[in-house]
Amino acid sequence: MIRGTVVGEVWATRKARGLDGRKLVLVAARDADGRASGRLVVAVDVLDARGGEDVTVAFGSGARNVLRPGADNRDLLCDAAVAAIVEGAG
Amino acid sequence: MFLGRVTGTVWSTVKWPEAKGLKLLLVRPYRLGDVAPGAGAAGQGASAEASEPTDDLVVCADTLDAGPGDDVLVAFGHAARVAVSEKLAPGGKPDVPIDAAVVAVVDRVEIAGGAER
Repeated sequence: MIRGTVVGEVWATRKARGLDGRKLVLVAARDADGRASGRLVVAVDVLDARGGEDVTVAFGSGARNVLRPGADNRDLLCDAAVAAIVEGAG
Repeated sequence: MFLGRVTGTVWSTVKWPEAKGLKLLLVRPYRLGDVAPGAGAAGQGASAEASEPTDDLVVCADTLDAGPGDDVLVAFGHAARVAVSEKLAPGGKPDVPIDAAVVAVVDRVEIAGGAER
């Protein structure tokens, strides 16, 4: 997982069926010092994160487990998902 | 997933049979400084306006008929194969040898704090 800050939201009408109805947020990753590294990821957001909020983003099967936990979720189109809204880190 | 701009197309004749007919695109990912100038490490030297993407190119499969100049979302790994398998003929196997695919053609990106592109 990575930690990052929600910096925006992405809209698309022409998309793969597996993304229908999904909210997509743009997340700026943070480096080890907590500063923005410059890397951007787009993540499915089911936690309704807002702009400026710190989040963790899970990738791969971890991301699919955010949307539907279990072994039968390989039909989901999701490689990155907001897994938590972060309140603090030290 | 990442946000990027299509910069070109890739052709190949020698490839795994399951990948036949699959269009391949060159996509350049956006970095933070490209969409939100002045924000973060990548913003140094950027103008006040959003700029062209600057990250390293990624080759990805395309089933949405995106073209050069389009802003797209690209998924990696299993999600890329799920997206491509939506378009395969019935009975087609989703085990195509790709790990990146265009999953959306972007209409709008709203940057928190007002800016849009």
